[in-house]
Amino acid sequence: MSQTVAAGPGASAGTPASRRRSPLAVGLAAAGLALVIVGFVASVGAFPESWNFGLADPIDRTRRWLINNQTSHWLYTVLLNPLTDLADAGIRRLEAILRWFPWYVYPVFCGLGLWRVRGRVAGALGFCGVVLIGMTDLWQQGFATLALMGVAVFLALLAGIPLGIAAWRNDRFASVLRPTLDAMQTMPGFVYLIPFVLLFGIGRVPALIATVIFALPPVVRLTDVGLRNVPGPMVEASEMFGATDRQTLRLVRIPAARPAILAGANQTTMLAMSMVVIAAFIGSGGLGQDVLRAMRDIDVGEASEAGIAIVIMAIILDRFTRGIATLGERGRGPQTNAPAGGSLRATDTVAIRPVAAATALVALVGGIVGHNKFPEWLQWHYAPYINDITAWARDNLYDIGNSGIGTGPLSDFITVYMVTPLRELLSSGIPWPAMIGLGVLGGLLARGVTLGLGVGVALFLIGWLGMWELSMDTLAQTLVAVAATLAVAVPLGIQASHSDRFQKLADPVLDFLQTIPSFVLLVPVITLFHVGRIPGIIASVIYALPAAVHYTDLGLRRVPAEVHEAATSFGATRGQRLRRVELPLAAPELMVAVNQVIMLVLAMVVIAGLVGGGGLGLETVNALRRSDAVGRGFEAGIAIVLLAGILDRLTRGVADRLRPPPAA
Amino acid sequence: MDQISPESAPDEAARDAAVSGADATVRVADLWKIFGRKVEAARDMAVAGAERDEIRSETGCLVAVRDVSFGVNAGETFVVMGLSGSGKSTLVRCISRLIEPTFGDMEVCGTVLADASDAALRELRRNKIAMVFQHFGLFPHRRVVDNVAYGLEVQGVGREERHERAHEVLVTVGLDGWEHHYPQQLSGGMQQRVGLARALAVEPEVLFFDEPFSALDPLIRRDMQDELVALQLELQRTIVFITHDFAEALRLADRIAIMRDGAFTQVGTPLEILTQPADDYVRAFTQDAPIAKVLPACSLMRPLGDGAVDESWPRTAETATLESALPFLLSEHRPVVVCNADGDPLGLLHQDDVAAVLEQNLR
Ligand SMILES: Nc1ncnc2c1ncn2[C@@H]1O[C@H](COP(=O)(O)OP(=O)(O)OP(=O)(O)O)[C@@H](O)[C@H]1O
Ligand SMILES: [Mg+2]
Repeated sequence: MSQTVAAGPGASAGTPASRRRSPLAVGLAAAGLALVIVGFVASVGAFPESWNFGLADPIDRTRRWLINNQTSHWLYTVLLNPLTDLADAGIRRLEAILRWFPWYVYPVFCGLGLWRVRGRVAGALGFCGVVLIGMTDLWQQGFATLALMGVAVFLALLAGIPLGIAAWRNDRFASVLRPTLDAMQTMPGFVYLIPFVLLFGIGRVPALIATVIFALPPVVRLTDVGLRNVPGPMVEASEMFGATDRQTLRLVRIPAARPAILAGANQTTMLAMSMVVIAAFIGSGGLGQDVLRAMRDIDVGEASEAGIAIVIMAIILDRFTRGIATLGERGRGPQTNAPAGGSLRATDTVAIRPVAAATALVALVGGIVGHNKFPEWLQWHYAPYINDITAWARDNLYDIGNSGIGTGPLSDFITVYMVTPLRELLSSGIPWPAMIGLGVLGGLLARGVTLGLGVGVALFLIGWLGMWELSMDTLAQTLVAVAATLAVAVPLGIQASHSDRFQKLADPVLDFLQTIPSFVLLVPVITLFHVGRIPGIIASVIYALPAAVHYTDLGLRRVPAEVHEAATSFGATRGQRLRRVELPLAAPELMVAVNQVIMLVLAMVVIAGLVGGGGLGLETVNALRRSDAVGRGFEAGIAIVLLAGILDRLTRGVADRLRPPPAA
Repeated sequence: MDQISPESAPDEAARDAAVSGADATVRVADLWKIFGRKVEAARDMAVAGAERDEIRSETGCLVAVRDVSFGVNAGETFVVMGLSGSGKSTLVRCISRLIEPTFGDMEVCGTVLADASDAALRELRRNKIAMVFQHFGLFPHRRVVDNVAYGLEVQGVGREERHERAHEVLVTVGLDGWEHHYPQQLSGGMQQRVGLARALAVEPEVLFFDEPFSALDPLIRRDMQDELVALQLELQRTIVFITHDFAEALRLADRIAIMRDGAFTQVGTPLEILTQPADDYVRAFTQDAPIAKVLPACSLMRPLGDGAVDESWPRTAETATLESALPFLLSEHRPVVVCNADGDPLGLLHQDDVAAVLEQNLR
């Protein structure tokens, strides 16, 4: 009897209730509290600079060594340089092929394609969009971007689909892969560039590799999920006919998982697009380079032309890849009204064939004749008008008639009353040990001992890297932007969940915003807000808005209709119902929204280093601009990753806590 | 069909041969399927007579199939009938080796499954057996014709040939013209016809049905049953049919096995089950069964013997239900002649036999 009692605490450690009260947790909580108290009593302020671990110097030394040995060391001559050359040749070849075709093939192809997958209006817009890219003389840059993208997406799918299959096949591998993908997806794209610059220097190949890795997670994840969700009876049916595992995979599993895999391919494409643009920082060339150059010169007109070209490309690619994913579904939707679906498909194919053949013929003839340059006479730049508008905006909107209203005063207000005080509070107002202590307690409450310890260690590492103040600067910007995003998005989401009309109106706008690569969003914002911390924050809000609205809407819509009716039947007003019933029930989903918003905002705030956002972003931007700043940028990169990890885990922990316990 | 009439009941030796028989197409001997770890202990408890729940609380094991033995002869329809959770699906999945049995031997079409290699098992599945699933198990990404041709595709049959064969089978099941639709575009009944066609396309010797009609609504279920009876008259396959619907079992079966908590409580012809239920569990089913509506006339007929058939006696078809003969039997004291499709007399239906069965049913 006594033996079982002795085994008690250890055996029951698995249940959440006892885990919170385990001696380890109590000890950690006490340590956290002690840190907070000691910190305030000693009032030590920011993390001491003298403790710096000094990672930057060895990194810089490595970088110098790598530069010096680039032509002689076997690592380069045998391994990296041939690889680089191969990748470069691939991109160049694809670019040459794309350039060979006559220019008019592209608008026609995009117009017809979009017409087929999205309808008339989309087709017309697609046609005009492509023409517009040519008119603004961005044809060549467009091909450079497209070629880099094409190779990157190809490689990502080539690696990602087999990885997904392997993860599905092998649970052990999956249990390693999944957290890795999670971690990869919390890292802002910008950070991916740093290690590859370190290794390869500036150029298209490091850009390509960073893009492939950045774009990889969705297709791996969705291939895995898609294969796992293939219904068991289907697989059994296949096996009962004596299919080999390979046959079942090829004939049943992969086709059944096709929609998921294609959805992954779509997401991968969009991530690759945004990364290729950001990779202009390390010389990926193409449209991103034009935006970057124009932004450095604060030439908003030029930046807009290139930025809009990018947005057009992104939207067309998105709609195309999504269209492909849904096209196959059309004939086999979940309806039973039989003959219509079948015959629709048949006529569709009939109509499309001659058109496709004609287009191919024209493309070949035009290519041979050499119509590959976008004609000069069609050229028309709208940059001057944009610059005029910008000038006007600067003069008139920045400070409307000395009234104290305008984007300037707004920006000042946010800076003076929100960002600066918060930054000071975080970086020196709260002593660093207290900050770590609070982090430990937060982690402990959100999930448990592991997270509490993890947050503590991560915060300490940030300080040790010498990134304490910069990190707190970035954190302050992030928190302000998150608060602003939620303040705008939650009411919009509530509205959308209550009104289908509103949702229908808002959906395309949000969808459009979501397709814009992060970096391009900065262009319109600096038009109105100059440079500094505020444009970054505003851009973050716009960037994170669609996801926030979407998740709020989703969470509220998931509240079961009976619950709604029950609340109403007790005479609750709309407001009461919202506060007492819907929001609490949607709380986990809202927390997911918060999580998404934080990750998106952080990614944007980092990129905003380019327009004077300061903080960790500035260090990373510098690292990519100047080769002597790589070490410091590396440290900043690690700090960003740590910060992202902390925020992600904390919010996800809270979201899980809020979820109702699963039914027994 | 080799219906066993009451008179031939003494033919016990033949029955035993069928159960353990060497010439059976499907032969199952001492089959156990136990979910859990301590299978040996669970089996020992079961052999000692412990109940399912007892074994579960003691060992944590679930005895899903409990020492089942039977044989199915070529061309016979063997129906396994039991309530939900009685282990029917587990049984049929063991026989087709979709899951591994815990103990026991099975032989299908001369292949001993226990020591069959993967290749041998594949060979068997490709050529000899096929299965129709409760929730159809159709491939949503394939058109009807490609669903039906799947088994042939797996065997490596060329496109042209397998489509031709698929078309033939689709005509047989009444789905001519639906080849190029996707399964979701069809109604439930039609989808299961596709499932049936898919199984028939490979011309299997043995067909397994796991509650194929349970997901259909009653009228369509009725239609499908009739169609299966008609098909079986023509094709004469060996069928193992799982159901929880006693009426369905009576309508289709040559022999029925009643399953409870993993074990067979009774195996016999529909007539035997109805007239001599082995225990109260079986009797409970028989009491709700609308016997006159489901039993075919041939199930109660006596062989013609040498006696001549009087031209004035009323006649009924072999596949007609008892109900159709009742008016004659009740009003006149003459036997009813049971005829086959060509009008040839097969046997005689006597008032006493019918009355005895109906009386048993009402008790
Ligand atoms: N993989 C498994 N692991 C553990 N228990 C299982 C497993 N599969 C089935 N069982 C159990 O075995 C018992 C028999 O299940 P089975 O599916 O064979 O019943 P059934 O007679 O087909 O019922 P139904 O009419 O509901 O299909 C059930 O109690 C079920 O819970
Ligand atoms: Mg079942």
